[in-house]
Amino acid sequence: MSGQNVTVDRSIFGGATAVVPRGGTETLSGVSRMDLASHRAAFGRRTSSRGQAGAALIDELAAVALTGRGGGHFPAAVKWRSVASAGTGGIVVVNGAEGEPGSAKDAVLLQTRPHLVLDGVIAAMEVTGAREGVVWLHQGADSTVRSVRSAIAERIAASEDELPLRVVLAPDRYVSGEATSIIRTIEGGPTLPRFVNNPAQPWSDGGRPILVNNTETMARAGLIALRGAAQYVPTSLVTVISRGYRSVIEVGVDETFGTLIGSHWSDFAAGEPQAVLLGGYGGSWVSWSDVRRLRVDPVALKPAGLSIGAGLVGPLPATACGIEESTRIVNYLAGQSARQCGPCVFGLAAVAQLCDDLTAGALTSAGRKRLTRFMGEISGRGACRHPDGAIRMVTSALHVFGADVSRHRRGRTCNAKVYGVMPLPGELS
Amino acid sequence: MTRHHAQDARQQVTDLVGPTLRIDPSLCDGVGICAHLAPDLIALDSWGYPIIDDHALTRKRLMRQAQSVVSACPKKALFIQG
Repeated sequence: MSGQNVTVDRSIFGGATAVVPRGGTETLSGVSRMDLASHRAAFGRRTSSRGQAGAALIDELAAVALTGRGGGHFPAAVKWRSVASAGTGGIVVVNGAEGEPGSAKDAVLLQTRPHLVLDGVIAAMEVTGAREGVVWLHQGADSTVRSVRSAIAERIAASEDELPLRVVLAPDRYVSGEATSIIRTIEGGPTLPRFVNNPAQPWSDGGRPILVNNTETMARAGLIALRGAAQYVPTSLVTVISRGYRSVIEVGVDETFGTLIGSHWSDFAAGEPQAVLLGGYGGSWVSWSDVRRLRVDPVALKPAGLSIGAGLVGPLPATACGIEESTRIVNYLAGQSARQCGPCVFGLAAVAQLCDDLTAGALTSAGRKRLTRFMGEISGRGACRHPDGAIRMVTSALHVFGADVSRHRRGRTCNAKVYGVMPLPGELS
Repeated sequence: MTRHHAQDARQQVTDLVGPTLRIDPSLCDGVGICAHLAPDLIALDSWGYPIIDDHALTRKRLMRQAQSVVSACPKKALFIQG
């Protein structure tokens, strides 16, 4: 049972686990949707976050060290302060178009706790003096869009908010969830990542200040606005990928990946996984022996050089091949390049090709050297972090699955009996 | 490694020691003229795109090379920060 250490009345899901299909988030079970009345009964009424209360709320975000939960883990208080000091009349965006194909936590939040997220958005608008609130969603995510639109309608009917909220739909692509893609779209440009010179001001010079936070970050800001930092429990929302479904679980910082996976991964009864993909498809593979004792705590993971990223937890069965799996994923990531930056367009394609060769048992010594050189040339050289993530994942795969690498390099068939463990969009689940 | 490490490190370098040559990689088309004009600052990667030395432009020769590539880049992808 997860959430033993999460006090039920303080947590987001009250200890429940949400279950969604491997592909998409159109059907969801395990957690029911809180409408406005039930949300207010459970989480309480919101008080204004204008003026002094706003400054106090930013201090509270800093006190609990709330960081972005989209993958970057940038301190929320720093972002909010930067937008607040840039002047009023800005825009607050909650990013519900998570690009991680395996992750479902944002959709689960928006489908079951939409008002917690919207309370965060409204609080952010009051704190920063913004005039407009935007909920940024994937255009194909019908159930999520429906839930958010109903929630906005409920708030209007109850005269809850005087500040306007609207839904904006993004193309169903990996890079649509990049904060700079959102800002560029709102400023009238294409939905593509943009190079940002000053991270404290991701919007255009002379433009309206724009605050973008991930859905989970905004829900947590909502919790803090409603309850105060003293009542805040620093849990994490994770998505565990099983063979036939995905589970979204709220995990306390004392729980280990070992107990999380032991109780929520469908294949565990058949044997421990050999490794776990942590954070996202641009995250890191970690061997089971290394990850099982680690706590599901962003702060505790940092010294190990790891990140909870977008909350993806993808166990790989002992019967699967980490090299095959990583090759599938890097091919997907290369195909999701926004095709703006050379090192991403050509570099990821070249790395994916060499990974194909490796998987096919056809990687020559020269190819192995090229792979090493290419991987060293790509990180940090795109306008966004998409290529960095792909390279991080491949780097960790070559390290963690060293035995598979040598098997494939000798041109032997690998022992894999299971393929396609991590779900990719467009594949049948 | 956090996603912001590189950026933070770069920011610190700029803050501590002075201006650096930077690139907006989304504007760069890999023309490659920069690597000829600023061989001490720029190398080309396997696909012909510039890899830029992000050390501070403390010496006059480096600053001159940086200024020449900023004005020579046909895509206006390079700039000096700080």
